[in-house]
Amino acid sequence: MRKYYEMMKSQMKIETAYVAWFWAGTFATVVKILILYYFWTAVYENRSSIAEMPLETMLTYAVIAALLGNFHFAGPGNQLAEQIQSGGVAVELLRPYDLINRLVWQSWGGFGMSLVRDMLPMLAVGWIFLGIQFPATGTGAVLFILSTLIGLFLAMYIDLILGVLAFWTVNIFGLRTLKNAILLFFTGSMVPVTMFPGWLQTLSQYMPFQSIVYVPVSIYTGTLAGLDALSAMLVQILWLALMWAVVRVIWSLAVRKVTVFGG
Amino acid sequence: MIEVSGLTKEYKIALRKPGLTGAIQALFKREHQIKQAVQDVSFSIRKGEMVGYLGANGAGKSTTIKMLSGILTPTSGKVEVNGIVPYQNREQNAKGIGAVFGQRTQLFWDIPVRESYDLLRHIYEVPEDDYRESLALFTEVLDLGPLLSIPVRQLSLGQKMRCELAAAFLHRPAVVYLDEPTIGLDVAVKQKIRTFIKEMNKREETTVILTTHDMGDIEELCKRIIIIDEGKVLYDGDLQQIKERFGQKRVVHFELENKAGFAVPASLRDRVEIVPKADGEAEASNTVSLSFSSRDLSAADVIQAVLSVHSVRDLTIADPKIETIVKEIYERGV
Repeated sequence: MRKYYEMMKSQMKIETAYVAWFWAGTFATVVKILILYYFWTAVYENRSSIAEMPLETMLTYAVIAALLGNFHFAGPGNQLAEQIQSGGVAVELLRPYDLINRLVWQSWGGFGMSLVRDMLPMLAVGWIFLGIQFPATGTGAVLFILSTLIGLFLAMYIDLILGVLAFWTVNIFGLRTLKNAILLFFTGSMVPVTMFPGWLQTLSQYMPFQSIVYVPVSIYTGTLAGLDALSAMLVQILWLALMWAVVRVIWSLAVRKVTVFGG
Repeated sequence: MIEVSGLTKEYKIALRKPGLTGAIQALFKREHQIKQAVQDVSFSIRKGEMVGYLGANGAGKSTTIKMLSGILTPTSGKVEVNGIVPYQNREQNAKGIGAVFGQRTQLFWDIPVRESYDLLRHIYEVPEDDYRESLALFTEVLDLGPLLSIPVRQLSLGQKMRCELAAAFLHRPAVVYLDEPTIGLDVAVKQKIRTFIKEMNKREETTVILTTHDMGDIEELCKRIIIIDEGKVLYDGDLQQIKERFGQKRVVHFELENKAGFAVPASLRDRVEIVPKADGEAEASNTVSLSFSSRDLSAADVIQAVLSVHSVRDLTIADPKIETIVKEIYERGV
């Protein structure tokens, strides 16, 4: 366990290795949030609510969702795919650790850094200047944190599925673009899932993606509360367990393929 | 320590017909050819031995090493390293081995070397005291002091290789595989690396398997060599013996003022051979290479004889190359 913790720490060191890049990330987040703010203010110019959501709730949703959505584009699967393409994965297999676990822990390191770099400062800015609401209740805040963590785990494992596929396809650029588009839409990081047309909402309910952003953010805004929130989190956990199992199965197939056929 | 018997690895290679038609055909129907990368290789290496594993490019060296380290499963045959079957127990095996691949870095690209080592310490669960002691020793022998705080991406090749080597030995593995550890390095760095490997072997009785194209590495480090060609073991035994038998062939390259009238001097006739030009070499160049056996001639004799007849601008004496020896063994048999 200790070694994975150390890997997480080393990822945090790597994230700070390029200072300009580090601050550029913060800058990009500021711009993104300002755009969201002006966009939604303009949309609400002549009306007081959309899909029963007043402007404050919508802004809160949009900003928190944008902050969470930041993590879903460069995940552990991306790193794995790069290692497969460069052949570096052979060296990884020489090490006494589980590569999947390592990648997941490294991603948590990245998350930790990002928490300090963008999330907390942006939340503060949002609270103070943009009129972002606080979580509806104390329980809501706790559930939001838990649900966010589960959602991130889920996002990582979905990303890893794509990464492992690189053992067969080598180049996963096309798949990744598709996945990013699907994630952007179906996780609810652009607009809340409740704003989708009915049939799309139903479809979304049977996919794992809304567990990544929509569920935690809705818990934050109070749209999901009490028993609804708990059952949404149970669904999150079920999806996580399923994705975990899928990754484990295809990973062991991939390792067998590499070790038997030589890549 | 390392037991290998009847080790065989076959690869399936997809065959493609040339051109666009071939590319389209390959989308629907693929033909495969089976390539035997390693065929029926057997050897056994004792604890503390340093063995040179030699062969031309593509002879099957890396494939063997990959099977020994557990990242390739053999098609048939038995491997055992330290009492463990590597491909069945990859992680277990990984704890007891170290490796350097000359072409591939194992350190973290973006963070200082020291941080990489610190992470390796946790990965291999090396006790704090042992780690400190090893690091102090490595820093001294490999002269790592000034490098530890620099990120790997800013190191030169020689500096990086020294750091890589230290990383491979950090957890005091019982077996270390070195795949061309001195490739592309200058003489001073090569020497440091050789000294370090020798030192580790002496102190820790580390078993070392070394693949290289540098005869100097082999001569300084290994008493025993295994030569492999096209996946088969051609020779397994004493280095000295094989050098006496095959290493006498020497070559002198002359750069002449004018090649046109060149003839082998009378005193050397039948005792030297003109080496044919290698493929890429310009036919027009004014160089002539003579090969001879050091049993019947000394290099000095050859040079003197040529100098007395022709005007020579420059000359070099080539050391016997491993490739030459391998080729000769292949042609003549052991």
